[in-house]
Amino acid sequence: MFSITQVKKLALPMLSLGAALTFTSCSEDDDTKNAGTQGDQFVMSLAIQGSNNTFTYYTVPFADVMTGSLSAQGKGIEQPGYFDFTQIGNTIYSIGGLDDVNVVGITKTATGELQQLGNISFANSLSDIIQADANTLVAVEMSSNSNMVKFHTINANTVTVTSTKQHPVSNLTNLSAPSYSGMRISGNQLFLSYYISDPTTFATPHTNEAQVAVYSYPALEFQKVISDTRTGPAGGFNTKTGLIKDEQGNIYALSNSNPANGYSQTTKKGGILRIASGQTTFDQNYFFDVEAVTGGKNISHLKYLGNGKALAEINAEANANQARWSDGPLKTAIVDLNAKIVTYINGLPQHAGNGRRLAALQDGNAVYMAIPEGNGIYVYKIDTQNHTATKGAEVQANFVAGFSKL
Amino acid sequence: MTQHTNFIKALLLILTFISLPKTGWAQGQDKATVFGKVSSATGEVLIGVSVALKDANIGTTTDEKGQFRISGISAGNYVLTLSYIGFETQEQPIQLGESQNLELNLRLINKAFVMNSVEIVGKTATKEINEQPYAVTAISVKELQNSSSDAKEVLNRVSGVKVLEEGGLGSNLSFTLNGFSGDQVKFFLDGIPMDNFSSSLSLSDIPVNTIDRLEVYKGVVPVWLGTDALGGAVNIITNKKNNFLDASYSVGSFNTHRLSINGAYTNPTSGFTLRGTANYNYSDNNYKVWVPIKKGNNVIDSAEVKRFHDRYRSGTLKLETGWVDQKFADNFLFGIIATGNDKQVQTGATMSSVYGGITRNSQSIVPTLKYSKENLFLKGLNVSFSSAFNRTKSEVIDTLRGVQYNWLGEATYTPGSTDGELNRTFTTLTDNDFNSQFNTSYAFGPKVSLAFNYALSYFARESFDTENPDRIENKFPKSLTKQLAGLAFKFDPTEKWSTTVFGKFYYLNAKTSKQYDFAQDNQRIDAFESQKENIGYGIASTYFLLPKLQLKASYEHTYRMPWATEIFGDGLFTTPNPDLGPEQSNNVNAGAAYGFNLGPDHQFNLESSFIYRAANDLIYQVVKVASPETYYDNLSKTRTVGIEGGLRYRWRETFNMGGSMTFQDITDQADFVFNESYTNTGYQKNFQKDFRVPNIPYLFGNANAGLTFKNVLTEKSVWGINYYFNFVEQYFLSWAELGSRDFKKVIPRQYSHNLELSYSLKQGKYNITAECRNLTDALLYDKYYLQKPGRAFYLKLRYVL
Repeated sequence: MFSITQVKKLALPMLSLGAALTFTSCSEDDDTKNAGTQGDQFVMSLAIQGSNNTFTYYTVPFADVMTGSLSAQGKGIEQPGYFDFTQIGNTIYSIGGLDDVNVVGITKTATGELQQLGNISFANSLSDIIQADANTLVAVEMSSNSNMVKFHTINANTVTVTSTKQHPVSNLTNLSAPSYSGMRISGNQLFLSYYISDPTTFATPHTNEAQVAVYSYPALEFQKVISDTRTGPAGGFNTKTGLIKDEQGNIYALSNSNPANGYSQTTKKGGILRIASGQTTFDQNYFFDVEAVTGGKNISHLKYLGNGKALAEINAEANANQARWSDGPLKTAIVDLNAKIVTYINGLPQHAGNGRRLAALQDGNAVYMAIPEGNGIYVYKIDTQNHTATKGAEVQANFVAGFSKL
Repeated sequence: MTQHTNFIKALLLILTFISLPKTGWAQGQDKATVFGKVSSATGEVLIGVSVALKDANIGTTTDEKGQFRISGISAGNYVLTLSYIGFETQEQPIQLGESQNLELNLRLINKAFVMNSVEIVGKTATKEINEQPYAVTAISVKELQNSSSDAKEVLNRVSGVKVLEEGGLGSNLSFTLNGFSGDQVKFFLDGIPMDNFSSSLSLSDIPVNTIDRLEVYKGVVPVWLGTDALGGAVNIITNKKNNFLDASYSVGSFNTHRLSINGAYTNPTSGFTLRGTANYNYSDNNYKVWVPIKKGNNVIDSAEVKRFHDRYRSGTLKLETGWVDQKFADNFLFGIIATGNDKQVQTGATMSSVYGGITRNSQSIVPTLKYSKENLFLKGLNVSFSSAFNRTKSEVIDTLRGVQYNWLGEATYTPGSTDGELNRTFTTLTDNDFNSQFNTSYAFGPKVSLAFNYALSYFARESFDTENPDRIENKFPKSLTKQLAGLAFKFDPTEKWSTTVFGKFYYLNAKTSKQYDFAQDNQRIDAFESQKENIGYGIASTYFLLPKLQLKASYEHTYRMPWATEIFGDGLFTTPNPDLGPEQSNNVNAGAAYGFNLGPDHQFNLESSFIYRAANDLIYQVVKVASPETYYDNLSKTRTVGIEGGLRYRWRETFNMGGSMTFQDITDQADFVFNESYTNTGYQKNFQKDFRVPNIPYLFGNANAGLTFKNVLTEKSVWGINYYFNFVEQYFLSWAELGSRDFKKVIPRQYSHNLELSYSLKQGKYNITAECRNLTDALLYDKYYLQKPGRAFYLKLRYVL
């Protein structure tokens, strides 16, 4: 029944069908686990932009960030969307932004692999998560499309919400709408800084004073709003550093109402105010006139290091010459909050910011940052004592969203 | 009767799931030939009678002298089928020996009420001119008519085609055809574009018994379809018998009910015809899904729960009247389609958002007009025209305040909150859509012909949101005008070789609103107009290496214009993108189709094709993991390399089996990505170059097997048992190569099995079918984190007069 000619006739179609199967069988790569090993102490959250204009974040462990090239190829925790990374204790919290309303913790297992911990979600994206004590976090949910400010108390070990307290936005202001800029807990108070930004146009028509809302802690009852007209609003767009706290519990409020960080107008000079530890008013005896020290330049990002010193990203341009929202160009410096001195870092190029929380890792006397330079991004290790920096590995990413050590 | 001259073309070419060409090539050495003449009972010569060998899938039509000739037939027993409009179909068993030349002179008997399926408007006029060189798969639905399937399920069994469903009945569907995802594949209902047909006329609303057949064009789309389809096109051809009644009711799991009544009456002398279709679909879609259960902000558990807010209802009434087979027209038909649906919305773009109050609904009225005439004024000049005006009103309703649902259906109330579940809205969309298509063709002779097509579509939308009456976007008119003109030249140097060269001109004009200078001092929403003109061209050729071994190849430089939904959004989960531009690509298709018999009983069909596509600005749906919203964007540069194949085997009329497999590697080829944000604005390195484009299946296949027994237990009865298998390899939601595989978001590998048992009595007059879908109750996902129904049972009763 099956003659030779018939078999020949089959050959061509069979070959092409066979090709389909051959094609597919070799397309699978080895399925290796690559979430890190004991030696990988550094963890970077690399943001990759896709051709479809969406970003995917890869939180990847690295043993060495000072040599070679750092890539997420085949390793790291993938998170498509918008994520803000903040390390508190031994956990990196990845806070979903834009449309993402979830939060997960990223920790290291006993064998040194990264793992995800917990999964909590909210009606709107969280604006920030801060530490209350070793086991407790406080998160705030503030959104221009909600008329409520919600505080969530989170168990830091399990990443679960233990309680939620809601207050009307109208406690803060009747203006539309307060936008989150910073939060710290000191003693029995929680301080929340904000600025007024129109939810549609993002214009900031109210820049004559700094305002901080005071809530009791741990009860999280609204107490009052304190304001100060020596400088403008605390914090800027998405920088999350309106308030920082030192070892003594003093709160510092950074005002930088500059175009590069989202302000449509500036009516007061940038500076730093203080709420002394245990107080619920601005310290009238303290004002750090930043512009006087920097020659008219403002601080965009501030990361507290210790002993009254903080790492600052300082605008290279005065407000008048800044492009709105550009978050740059920036120069890195160490700021002494008590002596009111600014010392720029040598060996670190002037660079663009990312318009989001500063991704910087403090490790003893070193601070690691990923700096865009030319067409690439490079790790720089800053010596905070000698005010110098060393160039390290190239990062295969469009930007670095988090820099941690676990 | 002579006015039927040249009118009817055989449908029998489409007996199997591969289209097979007309025969007429040189005789094989040991092959037999059957030839002869066909006339009517009164001795009139009949021209254009379909003559086919039923089991060999070879066919031809009678020429001007009423003569036919089929050669190249292997020795064996056959049934010769003759069919012609207005006559009884005649079947003549024949026996052919090697090299035998059998002459048969046959007479057909008039039958007033029986007619074979007739080609519809548009198709008729140009079929002879341009069908062959395109990569087309035609699926006859006849064998499936008792099945409770709908159009999408039939399509899903075609190689290269993958239907992606978001959920149960009435959920959104999208397609991939040779790597062209989502809406790059255009759909036609009887040759009229379905682009902006209302949501209640989607593929899952079209029951299988209203369909005669489906044609799937891969790659190059014939000029007569006229649209800017880039990845291909699907033409759904509905029943066009002149006199029939077909009623069916199916009931199944999830409280699913589907009713369909379908009929036609034609006066044999005046040609006056009246056709009607009514169908109603209902499902609670309360199937179980595995989802995280949230209490407050914490995910406390994962559980299998029933969907609680997913009811879908739709109804359609379609009436058509006019004349067929008259001197002034072959078809001259007016119609009206009235359709409506309403749908509860359970989830957004993924199951991580769950809603308990959002609903949407739509109603449409579509008047239609069709005209076609062959040999108008001149012999060889064919003209067809079709036009439809679609007015659709739809509502998107999210009016609960301060309420959030979890998957248990429990609501959490936030006192004082005015927030909607997604975005508080009560939006009414009023869409007016006009589609018109004109085709003409002229045959200069048997070897050379020319075809011209012009298509116009105009879409306009007005939106109003009562919850937000001042919404600026709604104050600007939205409209989309598309025009397409095509010219095709067909040259058939020999009977074995046919080539078509064509050019297409595309014009797109979109008017909408857009936000300018986002978050700058001069931020504003203002009118936005974009206009694009493009020229496409291509060549398609086919050659018969052996009488039943056909090779096809085509190249096309083509454009696809965005759809209205892609630019303007759908008012809910699909957000607008006014900057969305046309997609451009260079497509190469090459394939082969081969049919052969081993002995008289074993019949094989094989097809395989290779696809290469280099696309710029691929229109692509962006799905974000946590967001309920989605939108369309252009991917700057992609490349598709794919291969697909299908095999079909039939043993007598008792057993058949088949399957197909598709592999498509679609990779990102862009060197740079553009960062639109205000920080680090500009081009940056694309770290995902050469990686597989996410969220599109790349390896999938299906298989089926069926047994048919005739006259068991009762006379004139048919028992059938059919099994369908579907496979999709796991694929990633994001680009393939970055990140650990343990943490990547995946659409898991899936196997699904369906089983169908049917029993038909009294020559198909009464039919009953039982079906089990998803036999193994597997967790099935077509789209990231959108679970499809588990095991489900359906029973269908069908009555045919």
